[in-house]
Amino acid sequence: MKRVREWAPALVVFVAVIGAWQGAIAVFHIQQFLLPKPSDIIKAFWTERHTLWPAGWYTFKEALGGFAIGSALGVVFATVVARFRSVGTAIMPIAIAANAVPIIAFAPIAGAWFGEVSPHSKMAIAAVLCFLPVTVNTLRGLQSANPRQIELMRSYAASEITIWRRVRVPTALPFLFTALKVASVLAMIGAIVGEYFGGAFNALGVLINSDAQIFDFVTAWAGILVASLLGLALYGAVVGTERLVVRWAPDTRE
Amino acid sequence: MLALAGAWELYRWIWTTTGWGWPFTVDNTSMPHLWTIFKAFGQPTQVNQPTLISILFHKSLFTGKEALVGFAVGAVVGFTIGVVLAHSRLLQRGFLPYIVASQTIPILAIAPMVVVWVNPKLPTGLQGWGAVAVIASYLTFFPVAINTLRGMRSADPRALELMRTYAASPWTVLWKLRVPSSLPYVFAALKLAATASVVGAIIGELPSGLQDGLGGAIINFNQYYSFEPQELWATNVVAAALGIVFFLAVVGAEKIIVRRAPENVA
Repeated sequence: MKRVREWAPALVVFVAVIGAWQGAIAVFHIQQFLLPKPSDIIKAFWTERHTLWPAGWYTFKEALGGFAIGSALGVVFATVVARFRSVGTAIMPIAIAANAVPIIAFAPIAGAWFGEVSPHSKMAIAAVLCFLPVTVNTLRGLQSANPRQIELMRSYAASEITIWRRVRVPTALPFLFTALKVASVLAMIGAIVGEYFGGAFNALGVLINSDAQIFDFVTAWAGILVASLLGLALYGAVVGTERLVVRWAPDTRE
Repeated sequence: MLALAGAWELYRWIWTTTGWGWPFTVDNTSMPHLWTIFKAFGQPTQVNQPTLISILFHKSLFTGKEALVGFAVGAVVGFTIGVVLAHSRLLQRGFLPYIVASQTIPILAIAPMVVVWVNPKLPTGLQGWGAVAVIASYLTFFPVAINTLRGMRSADPRALELMRTYAASPWTVLWKLRVPSSLPYVFAALKLAATASVVGAIIGELPSGLQDGLGGAIINFNQYYSFEPQELWATNVVAAALGIVFFLAVVGAEKIIVRRAPENVA
């Protein structure tokens, strides 16, 4: 019952927005190519399901690969850097500056490096997009351990490894998951943007783009719906893992 | 910086001399010499044309204008959404899931629709780049809205109670307490948003066919990549610099406005 009340406002808004969208098109006679009716999008979503979902799955695999590679490298890199304090202070400003670089601009270069059509170039872009936030946040998390707790551990003659396992890693995990949530969304966007500069004909980004170019916006919107659903699925998987792993943190429900 | 430049040339040298093909073949096309890239800035792209650096400078001003407008609009919208949602749990429950979901929409995919949709409604002065600014603001508003909300909630409950015992009006509570306590959070978001607005401006230009900005330049030089790779690289260096300038501008504003802030709230 409590869950129902928790979600009721969201449902009301959903129904209201979709209703208003559908109604506005009927009332104001908005042309189909500007904004298609939600019902038409759902129809295309169903009739085109044999092209959209395999394409979505193809792109999703690229995003997932990039997400895994980028996040893993980010965690490893941050751990190494956190272990050696002087390296950390030297690297941090560069990492922050690199984070301010519009990585998307490098998508065509990834295409030139790893093959324009091959999925590897999209994985590379997604990986670079994921790498930076994961590195910065993991590093911040590893460094934010309470110094008094570490001193206490030292006074118990705990080894460095025990301190890492019991203090540093647990404090870093909430930070890591915040970054992974950001990275999960970025990975999907990175894969789709990468496909804009060339990709397999059955990739979702290529599909959306070519539909939009021939003004088949209904199918394009249906493709966007697929992309968003897959992005949400990855995001949801991260949130679910977080709930399982980080039980002790009080405020992870953001 | 020097270490990075050294690493680049060293990597090049090792991979070209040993002929390793993994993860990709290194040659003058895939990784041009750094000096080739920087020399390209001073050379004209075609005979009797201005030098690349002056072309790119004007293009980055154009993209910067789109990003700046998008950033301003997105920040104001995001802040307003954050303030409104902070005051009503009902609205929060109703809208927050969609605000989060809105960010999983691949922006590049809706960019063509936004351009077709927004452009005809704009006054002629805004035609073209106005739609791109809308895309930039779409990427900007999200971090600002989320962090404003978080910052508003972070106000010290004791201070809130004190305000109440003085019978302070909701406006006074908002401006004297909630907004100041949310500022560090807001600036953490604005730093993200600064970069996001540049990204939004660049990817907004890709499908809209605008040739005046960096996004157009990227598409253009990408087509000649196999002949003139250094031009695409040079464009990316400029795009990177633009992103960093935006970021540093927000950092500077934060230093001026938030004098006493707890560190690391991001």
